[in-house]
Order: sequence, then structure tokens, then C-alpha cells
Amino acid sequence: MSLPQNRYKADLRELEFVLFEQFGLGQLLQREPYQDWGEEEVKLTLSEVYRLATEVTGPLNAVGDREGCRVEGGQVVTPSGFRDAWKKVYESGFKSLIVPPEFGGQSAPRVLSAIATELTSGSNTAFDMYPGLTIGAADLIEAFGTPEQRERYCHKMFSGEWAGTMCLTEPQAGSDVGAATSFAKKNADGTYSISGTKIFISGGDQDLTENIVHMVLARTEGAPKGTKGLSLFIVPKRRVAADGSSGELNDVKCLSVEHKMGIKGSSTALLQFGDDGQCLGELCGTAEQQGIKQMFKMMNYARIGVGLQGLGIASAAYLSALEYARERKQGANAAAWKDPDAPRVAIIEHANVRRMLLWMKAHVEGVRALIVKGAMHLDHAMALAGKDDQAALYHQGQVELLTPLIKSYSSDTAFRVAELAIQVHGGVGYTMDYPVEQHARDAKIFSIYEGTNGIQALDLVARKLGQAGGMNTQRFLGDVAAFIEKNRDHAVLGPSVANLAAAHEAVAGSVMQLLGWSQSGELARIPLVANRFLTMMSELTVGWLLLDAAVIALEKQQGLTKDDRDWAFYEGKRHAAVFFAQQVLPSVVGSAKMLSAGDTSPLDIPDAAFATV
Amino acid sequence: MKILVALKRVADPANHNKVKIPAAGDKIDTAGLEWQINPFDLYALETALRLTEDGKAPKTRLGEVVAVTLGPAETETNLRSALATGADRAIRVDTTDDALDGRLVAAALQKLVEEEKPDLVLMGKQVVDGENNYVGQALAELLDWPMATFAATIKEEAGGLLVGREVDGGVSTLRVKFPAVVTVDLRIVAPDSVRSSKTAEGFKYPYEEVRFAPLPAIMQAKKKPLAVKKLADLVGGATLSSKYVKFEAPPARKAGVKVKDVQELVQKLATEAKAI
Repeated sequence: MSLPQNRYKADLRELEFVLFEQFGLGQLLQREPYQDWGEEEVKLTLSEVYRLATEVTGPLNAVGDREGCRVEGGQVVTPSGFRDAWKKVYESGFKSLIVPPEFGGQSAPRVLSAIATELTSGSNTAFDMYPGLTIGAADLIEAFGTPEQRERYCHKMFSGEWAGTMCLTEPQAGSDVGAATSFAKKNADGTYSISGTKIFISGGDQDLTENIVHMVLARTEGAPKGTKGLSLFIVPKRRVAADGSSGELNDVKCLSVEHKMGIKGSSTALLQFGDDGQCLGELCGTAEQQGIKQMFKMMNYARIGVGLQGLGIASAAYLSALEYARERKQGANAAAWKDPDAPRVAIIEHANVRRMLLWMKAHVEGVRALIVKGAMHLDHAMALAGKDDQAALYHQGQVELLTPLIKSYSSDTAFRVAELAIQVHGGVGYTMDYPVEQHARDAKIFSIYEGTNGIQALDLVARKLGQAGGMNTQRFLGDVAAFIEKNRDHAVLGPSVANLAAAHEAVAGSVMQLLGWSQSGELARIPLVANRFLTMMSELTVGWLLLDAAVIALEKQQGLTKDDRDWAFYEGKRHAAVFFAQQVLPSVVGSAKMLSAGDTSPLDIPDAAFATV
Repeated sequence: MKILVALKRVADPANHNKVKIPAAGDKIDTAGLEWQINPFDLYALETALRLTEDGKAPKTRLGEVVAVTLGPAETETNLRSALATGADRAIRVDTTDDALDGRLVAAALQKLVEEEKPDLVLMGKQVVDGENNYVGQALAELLDWPMATFAATIKEEAGGLLVGREVDGGVSTLRVKFPAVVTVDLRIVAPDSVRSSKTAEGFKYPYEEVRFAPLPAIMQAKKKPLAVKKLADLVGGATLSSKYVKFEAPPARKAGVKVKDVQELVQKLATEAKAI
């Protein structure tokens, strides 16, 4: 048992910078349908969500980790305090930021919802997954369900009265979704009898809500093999009576929950559907065999969501390390290291600690900018659709291209930032007295679920690069080139922009290399370098966005005095950008060399040669 | 019940801003400070909301809460935040921070009270910047109304309030008749500290702080009325009765010295620090 205590914090000044100063949220808010929103509402929302994160969900982060979830009499029991937190979170209304007004939402831009998610998820990843999955499931019904289904399910799911889950994975069908064998037999009254086993279902059972609506991928009678044969079903834990209330159990049994490395407060259930032949589901919408298409429409949101989970933890871990480095005294200043009487200094004064802190700062802020850029493209695409289709197409194209970067680079970075945060803490970081070891354990799953990072890399290289005839990639590279052109001679950042230019050239060259291989039939080489390429392109993007932030910051810094809080804030932007440009971007050039060298040893080595055991 | 809540903004005590004093020492430089509502005034707002609702059904308003502040246009952000938290309307008295002192604020509030005719005026027991603990008492005096300061509990009863005040050595309980001025202490936001006439005995609020501003209320806040009045129209011709002679920052802490033993410590305390 662990006493509730909040360890989470966030830098709201930084969030406001990214939204308003770097990405121009103010301009977006003047467009339909966001006019109800002004800067004041956005800032008030952020400060209230931050209160919620530090006062309601944050204090339960370690509690959830220590207690975990358990099954008692076929029912999952969530950690102490989660039920109360669920109530408070939904009463606050912040889970309906982007819910359509007809379901009680506020039509906020996705980018605001994204940053709100950074705060709620960062304060308690495990807890935030229950509402996160619920919104995802409700979004599916909202997008594809019949009017009756929307009426029956969406109100209650968006308001938090009921929860929702996504049931894709089966024991033999993980990354290979098309291997799913769950079966749906159509009944005379139009309902379907569902049977099958689903595993790793987040929020698959819990005691937070009276009903849970499972979105289940299953195969109808005579449906073809593979993903094409899958249909999407709405399968509630309790059958829904004619008056809309939750009735008798629907033969969905939770047999167990996983014992995991992290996110222990989130129940990960093994669900048995129709063990007694009594599980009824309804087709989502009216057409069978649309399941995978429907799921894919939601994929960008879900993957950006995982990116936000990574950002939330990375930022929390960085700020924890920073706080510790400012407090912990150890050793003398390097200039006086031989003097035993020299005053002991906080470890933030030591060069190696500063290096780690700046590494974390640059990566965290860079990932935040990457995600906010992606979410802004999404908002612009939605706001411009039907008004300026050319522009909307550009924005949607950038969303498609950036989504695998957001999912993978953020999740990998989160784990690495958490690892460094432990390192900054030294021995105590390895204990449960500090929050960073939990950060590392919680963050590891992000690179695995919602499409492993290996799959993301293949998605980028095999689908996204060539999408729309390669236009999205060209526009992206063109945007970076335009920034380089404009800032090549920047008085402070010029040398860093030169490194960006070299990285840009390296990425563009690698794109050509990949294209060459695919045209000459050397497809086998591509999966060997897909991950490397995804990292290169992510680092190029992050380096660009950090430099873009630094250009803005240096302009705004003019006229401020050094004791102004904003002076130091803007100075931080400059150093993060220079650090990344000088100490990360050159590796993109090296990576391009490795990529084009085309080493195939992982393919050449015989299976038996990996080890003799 | 109609309640007027007086709010003052203060420099955020939690941020790393340093309140700056120019070399001339003639004022406090407020440029670039981050502002928030004085915490005790937020507790007064929470108290007002609790007194105008049934704790079990807080969505139905049973009275009116008017949030008031004196300050420049940017203080409207603080009023909007009070409106989002639940106040029904707001009034800003347009002025600048250095044009005010406690007596002038009390005089301006007096005029507003005479216009608004509330049953009750609530505010924090003091402001965390100046720490004067003055305006509530001065206002009650100017209005010639009953007053209770440092309220830790408030129960509404017929025609007035039963107020528990935390004082040295215990609790003093006062019965005040409406209209009245009450200033609140931090324990007023404990789960069962405030009971309106409709809130059942034994009811406990599930939180002990200022309530969250829920998202729909944030979006509606700008539709709630916010009136602006000029200070001169309320207290024309009034001048500051406190004169600020000079501002100076507290002396910086000096580096300490290490002493060899207890004897040296005692000696230094006696001769240098003159503490013993």
C-alpha cells in the first residue's frame, strides 16, 4: 500500500509557448468550429486540467502501481481511489473536449485535447487508459454506428457512465490481426452470437462503470480469411434493455488479468466471449466485413494517443530529474574538486548531469513540438475540409506521414528519457522512493502496443513515403528546406541550421535510396533499415521544430532583461535547439551512410548461427 | 441569499518570479509577474458557492454570487476564472494597483455594497502579498454592519449566520445577523465547514479546496455578465491615506560560518549575534 502523494508536475509556460507562440493556435481558433474558444478559455482549461492531474490522478499514480488490479469472483477490482477519481474526472467535463456538441462536448481543437492528455496521462498513465479507450470505442460507434446505436451508446460512453474497450488481439493474432478467429453467428433477429477469446484487452473489465461496451473484431459465417473478413461488433458486458439501462450479464467472462512490468493500475484482461453460448452482439453499422477499415480510420488518433502517453511520461521524468538535480548536493564544483573543504554543490552544477538534463529537455520539447504539429495538421485538415480541399489534403497528408513518427519516436524517447532520469537520480532512482523507476516500467509498453515500432517503421517506409505519389513526403521535405533557406544566415543559429541542412540532405538521399531498392526489386533490404530511417526522419523533424522554436524565442527575447522569467524560458529554447543540432543531427548523416551501405548480415546469418543453444 | 465576494489578485507565490523593486525604491515593479487570485479569497468564493446551494445538488443555484475585484483590465482573467468556478456575475472596478490602499478599497466596496445590497460580503481574512488583514474590518466599520473575522465554520440560520472563528486557545462562536461582513480562514473549505440552509446536517463535500471549474462552465464564463465601473465614480476625489515611503527587498542571507565547538557557538551568539 502506498499513500496517495502527487509527484507529477508540468511546465505550463512551455505548453502555452508551443500552442500559441510556435504553432499559432490563436489563428486556428478563429476558424469554424472553434470560435467559442479563445486564448482565455484555453489557458483556463489547461490550468484546471493541471489541477486535476496534480490533485486527483497524480496522487494515485504510485498507488495504482503498487496495488495493481486483481480479479475477484470474475470481476476486476481496480486500485484504491480509482473509482472516486473516475467520478471526479468525468464531473470536470475535460474528457469531452473534442466530443461533438450533440453528445455534450465542446468542439475543442484536437491539439488542445492532445495537450490536456499529456497532463492527465503523464500524471497517471494507467488510470488515463480507461477513459482513453472509452473515448476511442465511442468514437467508433459515433463514426460508423447506426443512428440508434449512436443514441444507445454514445451519450453514456462520452459522459463516463459506461466505459469501452477495443478487442482485437487473440492468442494467435497479435500484430497479425487477420489471424483472428473469434466468430459471429447471425441470429434470426439480426443480432449476432459472439464466441471467442480476446487477450490483452485494456480495461477489459473494471469496477469503475456499471457497463462496458466492447468493440470486437470477429469473423462472420463464410467470411474470407485475413483482415478483409473481419467485422466490427458492439458487445456490451451487460445487455442493454429497451429503455437503455444495463441489464443482465452478456456472457463476457474476464478469466484473468495480466501481471505486467508497468501500467499496473490498468487492467489487461483475458476475455472469453460466449462461453455459455449466451453472448449477443450487434454489428457496428449495417455492413459486414468492414471491421478493419473502420478500425483503421481511428488508427491515427490511437497512435497519436500513444505518442502522447510517451510525451506525458518523458516530460514527467525529465522534470523529476531536474528537481532532484537541483536539490541533491554531492561533490564540489569542478573548479575546486581537489579541495575537501570546498562547499558541496547541487549536482546540477556537474557537467555530466547538465548534459543529461539538456538531452532530456531537448528530446522532450522536440517530441512535444512534433506531436503538436501533427495535431495542428489534423485540426487544420478538419477545419478546411469542404472549404479549401487542396489545403485540407496537404494537412491530412502530413498527418498520415507524421503519425508513425509520433507513435514510434515519442515512445522510444519516453523510455530513454526515463532511463536517463533514473541515471540522474543515481541509486535512489532505482528505488521505489522516487517516481522515475515507475516511469521507465510504465513507458516500455508504448513501443509495443498499438502497432509495434517495427510495424510503424514499415508503415512509414512501405506505405507513407510513397502515399499520394510521394507528394506528402515532398511537401514535408519542402517545408524543412524552406525553413533552412530562410534561416541559413541566422546570427545565432546559423551553424545549427547548417547541421539541419546536412540532415535534410541525408534524409532526402535515403528516401531516394529506398525508392531505388523498391524499384530494382531489392525489397528484402528495406525492413533492415526501416527503423533506422524512421529515427532519422524523426530526428530531422525534431531538430527542425526545435530550431523553429529557437528562432521565435530569440525574437521574443529581445528587449527582455535577464531577470525576467521569460528571458530564461526563451534562452532555454535556444540551448535545447543548439544542443540537438550539434549533438544529435550529425548522427542523421552517419545513419544515412549506414543505410546506403546496405549491410545484409541479419539476413545472411543462418538461424543456427545465432547461438548454439 | 445574495453574496458579494471581494477578490484580489496576487503575484503567484509558487513561481520563480522575483518581485522587483527599482533602484529608486518608489514602487514594486509588477511587469512580467504571473497573477492568481489570493488563496484566502478563493476560499471565500468557495464559501459563497456552498452557501448558495444544497451540497447534495450543487447544480441548482439557490442564491446569487457576485465576484468583485479592483484592478486593470487584465484582472478580468481572474474574474472569468471566478465565473467559471461558479460565480453568477462579476464587477471590475477599473484602476491600477498603485492607486489603491486598504482604506480606498474598503470605501469603494462600501459604495458597491450600497448599490448591490447583498446579504453578505465575503473575503479572505487577508491577502498574501501585503498581509494587512484590514479591508474586511474597515468595510464593516464603514457600513456599520456586524462582522466576523477568521471564519473557520459557517452555518446559515434564520436571518443570519453562526460563525466559528479560530482564535488563540480555541474557537469563538459568533452569531451575526444579515447583512454582515465575514472574512474566512483556510479551514473554511474543510468538507463540512459550511452549511447553507438547504444543505443537510452531516453532509460532507468530497473535497477540501476550491472546486474545479468544469469544462462547460469555462465555456459559459464569457457569457456571464461582467460589468466595469470606474474607481472615480465610486469614490471620486478620495486620495490614498497610506503613503508608501520606500520599498526595499529583505536583506539577502549572508553566508554562514562554521564553529569549532559549542563554546565558540555560545560565545558568538553572545558577542556577535547578541542573541543570548
